[in-house]
Amino acid sequence: MSGAGSVLDLSLGQLGLALLLVGVVIAISAYQGLGIGRDLVVGSLRAVVQLYLVGLILAVVFQAAQWYWVLLMLAVMTAVAAQAATSRLARPMPGARAIAALALTVSTAVTLAYVIGVIIQSRPWYEPQYIIPIAGMILGSAMTSAALAGDRLQGDLRVRADEVEARLALGFSGREAVQPMARTALRAAMIPTVNGMMTVGLVQLPGMMTGQILAGSSPLLAIKYQLVVVFMQAAATALASLLFVRLAVGRYLTPAHQLRRYLL
Amino acid sequence: MVAPLPPSHPLFEVEQLSLVHDAWGGQPPVTVLKNVSVSVERGSALVLLGPSGSGKSTLLRCLNRLAEPTSGRVRFDGRDIRSLDSRDLRQRAALVMQTPVLFEGTVRGNLRIRPAGTPGDFSEASLAAAVEEVGLDPKLLDRDAVTLSGGEKQRVTIARALLRDPQALLLDEPTSALDPPNAALVVESVSRLRELRRLTIVAVTHQPELVRRLGGSLLYLVQGEVLTYERADSGVTDARLQAFLAGELASPPTERP
Repeated sequence: MSGAGSVLDLSLGQLGLALLLVGVVIAISAYQGLGIGRDLVVGSLRAVVQLYLVGLILAVVFQAAQWYWVLLMLAVMTAVAAQAATSRLARPMPGARAIAALALTVSTAVTLAYVIGVIIQSRPWYEPQYIIPIAGMILGSAMTSAALAGDRLQGDLRVRADEVEARLALGFSGREAVQPMARTALRAAMIPTVNGMMTVGLVQLPGMMTGQILAGSSPLLAIKYQLVVVFMQAAATALASLLFVRLAVGRYLTPAHQLRRYLL
Repeated sequence: MVAPLPPSHPLFEVEQLSLVHDAWGGQPPVTVLKNVSVSVERGSALVLLGPSGSGKSTLLRCLNRLAEPTSGRVRFDGRDIRSLDSRDLRQRAALVMQTPVLFEGTVRGNLRIRPAGTPGDFSEASLAAAVEEVGLDPKLLDRDAVTLSGGEKQRVTIARALLRDPQALLLDEPTSALDPPNAALVVESVSRLRELRRLTIVAVTHQPELVRRLGGSLLYLVQGEVLTYERADSGVTDARLQAFLAGELASPPTERP
């Protein structure tokens, strides 16, 4: 980030001007009777507090540059992501949070190890400037895909429970019987990523690239990083949704090849 | 050495079966079955009656272990079904569901669908014979399954069950999703097959004609408990049950008069 000197600092007054933009949204909500004014205020306050806290914590972690602080930070991020991935399920899913935590941890660890250790080769491996933003982007993709996969799997098993039982009744194993629903859930989880790859850069500049360019990097350096980001997010998406679906399916089946229908 | 079993043991023996679902998703615990005992002799029929939610379908699903009782025991052919591979059990006690489930593809593909290693004859001749056995034209084999009528679909699922050469058919309201003419054709197929193949049949049904044709024992469940059990050879004593079986009531009596 050699061009850091070219970044304009923002004063508190300027940030206050940015809040006026939320005022526009609140005004529209009130005018149209959308009833989301309160959520907008809470959301804005949360954004301010959360980002400030994260900024403070990041400043400390960057300053200390110790592997254990970095790992702790990653663990907290994963826990929050696991919670968020399962909080919007239409119905409760048995052991959902533990399943999400495991799927996100494994998929993120594998992808992150490859990106940091093999591709970028930043030294030391826990250099916060690289590992934390990259881990965040991987986790974000993994979280979204796990949430999509979980939602679709649950909905499909519920709607297509008769089909599952028909296969079981024909002598198929539990895993064989739910295979079509598992496959649909995986597809649903991965399609947004594939679509995103098709239009990346054409519709909007991805956040990381935008940030790098604002921070003074050349656009050509920024796209190199962005390509790594796109590919690593695709890998994280596939791994996280595959793991989540495999583990979640296990919760709806028994060793005797039964569908635990009352959980659906 | 396994001691030889007496030759006359029933095909299904249900002993003190109870099934309770744990509280889940904001729902309180639900008792679905409570101390149900019944047995079904080889080649005979048992009809499960009762209001909806009385546990009939769950009891049926305990027989091929699609549902797991909380306590009690089910024996199939003299053996506790927990000692059998449930996939094999389900080929030997084949289930026909209320809404026929056919998969994408032709009728032929639907009849052939099976896990690797399934015993039985799935040759073209055998498929045609199975289709004819349920009163359908073998030309139907080439049809796309989604184009069949409800009654044809249901008879295809019966043919699919037969191809496994089962000892028992478990019928879960096989006619209730069908219009009267199609229901009559399914009743006809089932009754004929039973005699032809000496099948043991356990049926959940609200269809008086099917009850009469099967001529089996009647088990009347209310809230998961056996309210009445009428053996096939005894006269039906409950007046309202009699009225139902005579076709005078559209649905079985929901409470004891």
